[in-house]
Amino acid sequence: MSTPTQTQTDTTGEEGLDRVRTLWNQYLPYWFMAPMVVVMVAITFFPGAYDLYLSLIEEPTVNVFAAEFAGLSNFEAAFARGGAIHSFIITITVVVSALALETALGFVLAALVAGVGTGRAKSFYRVLFILPMAVAPVSLATIGRIMLNSEVGIIPYLIEAWTPFAAPAFLSEMPLLTVILLDTWNWTPFMFIIFYAGLSSVPDTLIEAARVDGAPLWRRYLHVIIPYMKPVVFVAALIRMIDLFRTFGVVYGLTQGGPGTATQLVSINIYEQMFINNQVGVAAAIAIVYLVMVVALANIIIAKVGFNGVWD
Amino acid sequence: MATTDSDPGSAQRLDKETRETLVSVARHTILLTWSFVILFPLYWLASMSLKPPGQANTLPPDWVFLPTVYNYITLIQSSEFVAAFTNSLFMVSVSVILVLLIGVPAAYVLSRYDIPMERDVLVWILSSRMLPPIAVVLPFFLIFRELNLFDSRIGMILMYVSINLSLVVWVMKAFFDGIPETLEEAARVDGATRFQAFRKIVLPAAKPGIFSVAIISFIFAWIELLFGLVLTSFEAVPVTLFVYSFIGSRSIEWGMLAAASTSMILPVAIFLIVVNKYLAAGLSFGVVIKE
Repeated sequence: MSTPTQTQTDTTGEEGLDRVRTLWNQYLPYWFMAPMVVVMVAITFFPGAYDLYLSLIEEPTVNVFAAEFAGLSNFEAAFARGGAIHSFIITITVVVSALALETALGFVLAALVAGVGTGRAKSFYRVLFILPMAVAPVSLATIGRIMLNSEVGIIPYLIEAWTPFAAPAFLSEMPLLTVILLDTWNWTPFMFIIFYAGLSSVPDTLIEAARVDGAPLWRRYLHVIIPYMKPVVFVAALIRMIDLFRTFGVVYGLTQGGPGTATQLVSINIYEQMFINNQVGVAAAIAIVYLVMVVALANIIIAKVGFNGVWD
Repeated sequence: MATTDSDPGSAQRLDKETRETLVSVARHTILLTWSFVILFPLYWLASMSLKPPGQANTLPPDWVFLPTVYNYITLIQSSEFVAAFTNSLFMVSVSVILVLLIGVPAAYVLSRYDIPMERDVLVWILSSRMLPPIAVVLPFFLIFRELNLFDSRIGMILMYVSINLSLVVWVMKAFFDGIPETLEEAARVDGATRFQAFRKIVLPAAKPGIFSVAIISFIFAWIELLFGLVLTSFEAVPVTLFVYSFIGSRSIEWGMLAAASTSMILPVAIFLIVVNKYLAAGLSFGVVIKE
């Protein structure tokens, strides 16, 4: 008696499972996309909207209806009285100079390594040159503090001992340059490794044809290799630029934005307004301007240069 | 005329050989100089971590010294360091698994199906990377306080996912694009469901991509300082924040600081060397796929 009912329930259970399986497979693309879209909305639209909201109200409150509209006073406080504009200038200085240095150095190194004769020496350089990327910004700040310290640092000591020059006080007299050079040390490998891969994808026939035509080395680079590499250079520089705008750890660990406000990047300025001055609205006002600026800049570059030939 | 013509010709040929040697010498001089620039700070940090306490920062430096693991022993005995290190290891690893679970299937769909406005969707995904973390973390700080996620590992894991999701989607899409669709079609003809075709055919073929993107995601989360600084205070402190607070302390114990930094760098350096073949593909968001 009991056996038929047993099978009955079994089959319905199986049917249900089958239906789930069919649904799962039929709408597979949706299931696959959904978590990503949810997380993306949470990390792009939500912070942007919330920053904007915070920048426009007096006191931070979760209850939207209790919020007091502040107009543009937070923006005024940030940009007219606070040092926000100074921070933007500092940030752009660091981004532009580090990007230029890293691109140039990365390309030269990649070209030099690509021309090394033996395979073993080639892979030696290739592996060695990526090592600085293993150094976290905060560890790099540690290294900077240890080695550049004007009392106990090895580098000022060696400059004094081995050269006729007086050692500069890296962290107090030229903090911005020091930050740029440290970042160059840290992230030139990023450019190097992408350029190196790009260089090895240039077809040999193309270079050979130019060589047969009698083009000297620099012309081969200028007219054949660099034009061919353009998409790669552009993508690497774009990603590096985006990441440079994220710079925080190395500067905060090294100088905390000082001395004074000499290295106060926008990210540090926002952090201090928020957590030291307790000015949430002002911090949010700078944050929303920064956010819009970086996203707009990156999108203008993408639209202008176009991704055609890069990703399809 | 003929002799004067051939003479500079042979001289040029001779010159060519010497010139090649000269070029090679110049090339290696530059490359070795840069090698030194890279290695010296790393060597200095490592050697400092191996010097006995009083000797760590003496000038002129002791180039020759008896290495000791004193600093590492004290570090391991410090419960704060061990807690921060295991915290980071746990939070970053979980975040990498999570970001792969979310990102890889989505990348597969973006690669295989006709998505409306696919280009805009991809740029939108990339834009999550463009947002400065400080602008992102500010709202999350306030929300996490409300949701009791402040100073929690879950909160940190979510933030780590947020920095790597765009990378995973982009790189894996590029890898899936490189896997011929005929493989899955054959499996579908043999009766496999869509999901089975994905799991049994496509995923194994994409293994190198998944592996490299996992390691790169690990690194980007591992080196992150800001989220720890803003969103943790005690329970979920990552190792980067531990090192930072060490810098901030009034009397710096240089040897310990060097040891803490070295133990942070070493695992990442090994990872980088392991995946160095796929590094370009991963770091360029999948744009440079072959080497």
